[in-house]
Amino acid sequence: MPSKEIDMRGQICPSTLLTALREMNANKDLIRSGDLELLFVTDNRDATVTIPESAANMGYEAKVEKSGDGYQIRICKHTS
Amino acid sequence: MNVETGVVVSAVTSLATGVAAGFVMHRSDFCLAGMLRDLFLFRRTFMLRMFALMLLVTMLLVEIGRLTGLVRMFPFPGFGMPGAATVIGGMLFGVGMVLAGGCVVGTLYRMGAGSVLSAVAFAGLIVGSVFYAEFHPVWKNFADATLFFRGPVTLSQLTGVSHSLLVLCCAAVLLTVLIMWGRRGELVRRSTAERYLQPWKASLVLACLTFWSVSVIGVPMGITTTYSKIGAWLESLIAPGHTAGLGYLKAIAFDYQNTLLGISYRGGPGPALDGVSLMQYPLVAGIIAGGMASAILIREFRPHWNVPASQYVSALAGGILMGLAARMAPACNVWHLMGGLPIMALQSMAFVAGVVPGAWLGGRLLTHILSFNQSR
Repeated sequence: MPSKEIDMRGQICPSTLLTALREMNANKDLIRSGDLELLFVTDNRDATVTIPESAANMGYEAKVEKSGDGYQIRICKHTS
Repeated sequence: MNVETGVVVSAVTSLATGVAAGFVMHRSDFCLAGMLRDLFLFRRTFMLRMFALMLLVTMLLVEIGRLTGLVRMFPFPGFGMPGAATVIGGMLFGVGMVLAGGCVVGTLYRMGAGSVLSAVAFAGLIVGSVFYAEFHPVWKNFADATLFFRGPVTLSQLTGVSHSLLVLCCAAVLLTVLIMWGRRGELVRRSTAERYLQPWKASLVLACLTFWSVSVIGVPMGITTTYSKIGAWLESLIAPGHTAGLGYLKAIAFDYQNTLLGISYRGGPGPALDGVSLMQYPLVAGIIAGGMASAILIREFRPHWNVPASQYVSALAGGILMGLAARMAPACNVWHLMGGLPIMALQSMAFVAGVVPGAWLGGRLLTHILSFNQSR
């Protein structure tokens, strides 16, 4: 599946969540059809809570993985 | 205890308090600025629940301390009478902390953890704090002329109602809503961040640290005079004649005896090493070190510079505004929310009356700045 990476390292709250919401809204049709997944790269620990919460509220699936000195948050179509 | 020992114990106590606060705040993403900002921007109330828990525990601990004599000075030194200046200062502070992405303490522990934006906000705090000295006489006249009350410092002193009774009433209300939230599972949050500390645990630690600080040092955690002192020192290197002529930098912000440690804290916002330096410098250093230690231990310390320019501008502007507002109010959200509200200080209530609408306004401004950035 095509993936769009958004590097937000160095950014803090609330710009990380605002950016994520903007990207999720702008790409909602592609995500819902399963044609795109978003990959947010962040070093803001709070974003590992707020972005998945917002994604779940929008009906998406969110997976968080530690990656280097930060985290990768993968947003995709809900599979279950 | 002789004076030398008292000074060392004071410095070590403040340093340890700062390290512990910085560490737990970093691990739990404990953000007092986010508490109000997210309420308006995202309708999130989780941090408000954490604040309610911290308020309840601090209130009870301090009251027990007061009744048993562990807390020897009550109300704590440094709290004044409420007025329009505190409300206006609180409002500007609210705007500033949202633009800066964190309050005066959040800025410190995030800077310690490697955030470049927080370092920029820190620089702004210093600039704003020292800039206040330029118009202090005018502002002080306004503040004195617009006090709401003259004399009472706490709600108990204003109303004549026993402080213990007021504490019991507030504690009953807070406990009731906390039990309700607890039953609904709304006091915990899921996080996959490494070594995440549940914020309710941080609330308990921070309440204990406030109690520890007022018991040993005599005042709750407060750091904003440090920003003035650093700024005044830097300014004195550039324009020594001008700095020497600023009346505000000669003012005395604290002057009280710590009978437990056998020392006195006397000092103000000027550049000299004094009692304020003894109280606040170790605390500031500790918060930075605590955030840094937490980040390094989980391999998350790595500064990233590649951030949109608008966010640098926002952080700097927010820092300047916070520094300015913390002098105008006077004091910051940590002093008033973690130290003043638990003793129902009227000045802290006035600060809250300003900081809440300020956070709303800051949220509106910030979204505008970020949207403007994207459209370019």
